[in-house]
Amino acid sequence: MWSSENAKHNNKKKNKSGHGSSSRIVSSSSARSSPSSASSILSQTPRRRTMEEMWKDITLATLHQETPLAPLLETTHSHPQHHHHHQLQLHRPHPTASPSFRTMILQDFLSGPCSTVSPASAAAAEHITLPPSPPPLPPTALTLKSGLELRYPAGGGGGGGGASGGAGSGGGSLVVNAHSRSSSNSNESRVNGQANKNGHGGSFMPSYFSDAVISPPSPAGLFSFCSKKRMMPEGPVVDGDRRYKRMIKNRESAARSRARKQAYTNELELEVAHLLEENAKLKKQQEELRMAMADQLPNRNALQRSTSAPF
Amino acid sequence: MSRDPLVVGRVVGDVLDPFIRSASLRVLYNNREVTNGSELKPSAVVHEPRVEIPGRDMRTLYTLAMVDPDAPSPSNPTKREHLHWLVTDIPETTNSSFGNEIVPYESPRPTAGIHRFVFVLFRQEVRQTIYAPGWRQNFNTRDFAALYNLGPPVAAMYFNCQRENGCGGRRYHAVSGWT
Repeated sequence: MWSSENAKHNNKKKNKSGHGSSSRIVSSSSARSSPSSASSILSQTPRRRTMEEMWKDITLATLHQETPLAPLLETTHSHPQHHHHHQLQLHRPHPTASPSFRTMILQDFLSGPCSTVSPASAAAAEHITLPPSPPPLPPTALTLKSGLELRYPAGGGGGGGGASGGAGSGGGSLVVNAHSRSSSNSNESRVNGQANKNGHGGSFMPSYFSDAVISPPSPAGLFSFCSKKRMMPEGPVVDGDRRYKRMIKNRESAARSRARKQAYTNELELEVAHLLEENAKLKKQQEELRMAMADQLPNRNALQRSTSAPF
Repeated sequence: MSRDPLVVGRVVGDVLDPFIRSASLRVLYNNREVTNGSELKPSAVVHEPRVEIPGRDMRTLYTLAMVDPDAPSPSNPTKREHLHWLVTDIPETTNSSFGNEIVPYESPRPTAGIHRFVFVLFRQEVRQTIYAPGWRQNFNTRDFAALYNLGPPVAAMYFNCQRENGCGGRRYHAVSGWT
């Protein structure tokens, strides 16, 4: 139970940090579901190739969003080797913009190199996934992220808390406290997470993001997040499909739950109606019987004549 | 009637075809009657219930089947239906202990999700020999009724059951994800 709650924390943290990036969510789920295949796909050469493509895409995409990051991007773009991702992560030039950028980079890095999809479609998918992050998101994303990350160690953190916690705990300690205070109960953690999101301004939370929160988490995915050695076997296209299936499954589950509730309510209503009817019938029957008894019984209170003489 | 709990709860659909109830059925666990569609804990349904069939004619015989259409989980019912109990030759006005237990009662132990456990009652035309299936899973009530010429069901009811300390539905498993 505790470990599953932990996993829930991990899940929420990962999903919140990766606002709307389907590749990230799926990367965690794919890591969870097929760790063996991830390790088997591990290879140096294809990783670099697709990674360069990915870097290009990210450069193009993020240049639309946040210009302050451009210089940083130029620098990293000139060194298209994966270990420079670490550099990028550590520098954190813009506390407001970088968390989202960093997490996107990292997640996309994790998902991109292992993508078996062609670079063109991967690029297209990158474009699709990246733009949806709205500008007001980064500041709040930072606070949420740090809140989540501090919640995770509070839950009894493992290795996953380390790297992401180190990166995100820089800012918003006050916000973090608020988060940890509000989310003492692990059962309510997800609800609180949602509430926190809404509290910060529901406008920045697109609908699919809330789906993302429910998406499969993965302690294994978090490990890859930290270690940066695990490769995600599936590309963004398959990730979106998996998310869609997840959404469908959730819908079905919700429908089942509603049906269950409605069926029980209907049964109770039927029973109530039946019992009321039976009650009325029985009462009427009892009344009739009472009347019949009263008619038949002689009235012993009245005086009666009887013989008292011995003859 | 679309308000029928059996229809709303998708029992009619997943397990049975629409039918007209022509008999009554009472299921009692620990001497407590189960309301259709209610929820019971696995600890409450460990032992077989007493299934009463009120009526007038002791010559009429009934067959009772208890199935779980949500095995192993409602979102992934690959083993639909799991047969938990099969009793035949139950005389009307009596209860299941007077019948012939073909498949012994298996306690419901749902691991994932909230399962429905359905009791189906068929009227037998004659005292007939019904053979137990080779295995409990992937039982098909419709096919079973067709095989033994039992006709449409005459009564049915169901209850919900989840893990003893269940939180109500989907949980995250480290290996299999959300189920």
